[in-house]
Amino acid sequence: MVLTSLSGGPKHGYAVIKDIETMSGVTFGPGTLYGVLARLEEEGLVEALPSEDHRRPYRLTGAGATVLRERLEANVKVANIGFRRLGALGA
Amino acid sequence: MSSESAVNLAIRCYPGWWRERYGEEVRAISGDLTADGRSPAIVALNLLHGAVRARSRAEGMPKIYELWSTRTRISIAAATLPWMLVAPFVLMAMGTQSLHSTKGYVFFSGSGFTMTHLQIAGAPPTPAPPLTPAGSVVPFASLAVGVLFLVTLAVLASGWTGLTGAIRRSAMPHRRRVWLLAWAPGFALLADVALVVAEVLLRPNGYRSTGGGPMVPIGGHPLAAHVLGTVLAVVAIGGWLASIVCVAVAAKRADVALSDLRFGKSVSIATTALFALMLTAYLAWGIGLLVQARQASQGTFTTISYSHQDLWFPIVVLITSAVVLSGFSSRAARRSWIVLSNDIS
Repeated sequence: MVLTSLSGGPKHGYAVIKDIETMSGVTFGPGTLYGVLARLEEEGLVEALPSEDHRRPYRLTGAGATVLRERLEANVKVANIGFRRLGALGA
Repeated sequence: MSSESAVNLAIRCYPGWWRERYGEEVRAISGDLTADGRSPAIVALNLLHGAVRARSRAEGMPKIYELWSTRTRISIAAATLPWMLVAPFVLMAMGTQSLHSTKGYVFFSGSGFTMTHLQIAGAPPTPAPPLTPAGSVVPFASLAVGVLFLVTLAVLASGWTGLTGAIRRSAMPHRRRVWLLAWAPGFALLADVALVVAEVLLRPNGYRSTGGGPMVPIGGHPLAAHVLGTVLAVVAIGGWLASIVCVAVAAKRADVALSDLRFGKSVSIATTALFALMLTAYLAWGIGLLVQARQASQGTFTTISYSHQDLWFPIVVLITSAVVLSGFSSRAARRSWIVLSNDIS
């Protein structure tokens, strides 16, 4: 979700939390978000930009975009199978 | 407590490297969220949860030797010291063993674990009924707890000598102070031995009967011996707890070589494995005693009991928590050492 949020352009933590809330209804706390950001930064999937008033924006890296595309494609594949099976059930 | 101070307190629970990297922006964003109507208590709790994760997983921790070396040392201490804290309780909470049957007190010949030739006390003694199947497992489980205690103590003693030796060989500042801290268990033991010797020397040589009155001590210094006995108990318990704290502080400060960390990491893994085995044996001991009671009600059997067996369940909870902490910590020590040896050194 954090990668998807950052795919719309660089955002600082508060904007990411609000974007995820709007996008999926999931409420992230700052402890959860910065745990994820630290891991994604370590893996080279996101990077921090120069700080703006103590709020550092983050942006997706090239590797992050590749990983996000792979994960979204896998999710779409699973979703399509699910929809086909639901259709076969007539639901 | 104000919302700001609750958030600040939660942020202070994060490791130093994390606060340096993310502290300011998390403080700013937490302020934005609470201004937005989010409960400060929920924000602070979420930060506390994040702090536990940051400390246990070290995700995003910079690949700096000092940081990972400190993490390895703290993890080794956290894997081994819970045993020091809990294991003595396990032995104390078993207490002394006794045998009973419906016909009276039972004694045995042979070793305390095979318990051959059970006999009912009397003149002359008569053969006693056998132990229940579950009851006959209990002495072996008790033996296993004792043996595992001694083996783990030996493993920890080797780890402790490894720590003191590594500190002696290192070139860190304040080496002598850290070395003295690491020697706290040795000093505590010496103090215990000195007090025991003094107490024995001051004890009365014997007691004289006064014809129905109280027994009168002969020689020695009974009052001083009594006071020393109390001091000994305080020093033994206080020294034991202080030793644990001092060794933890020494382990945190001791900037030792990578090969010494490898040894410490192995000691922590061995301690966790032995600790888990000790828990298994203690579980078997308690379950054996519980099942024995049911089996004994279905026939004529001798039953085995221990003076403090009622403490079994609280001790199981205590030792299980300590084993879990030890397990997570030894895994963290292993992972940190891998990062140190593969990615940094």
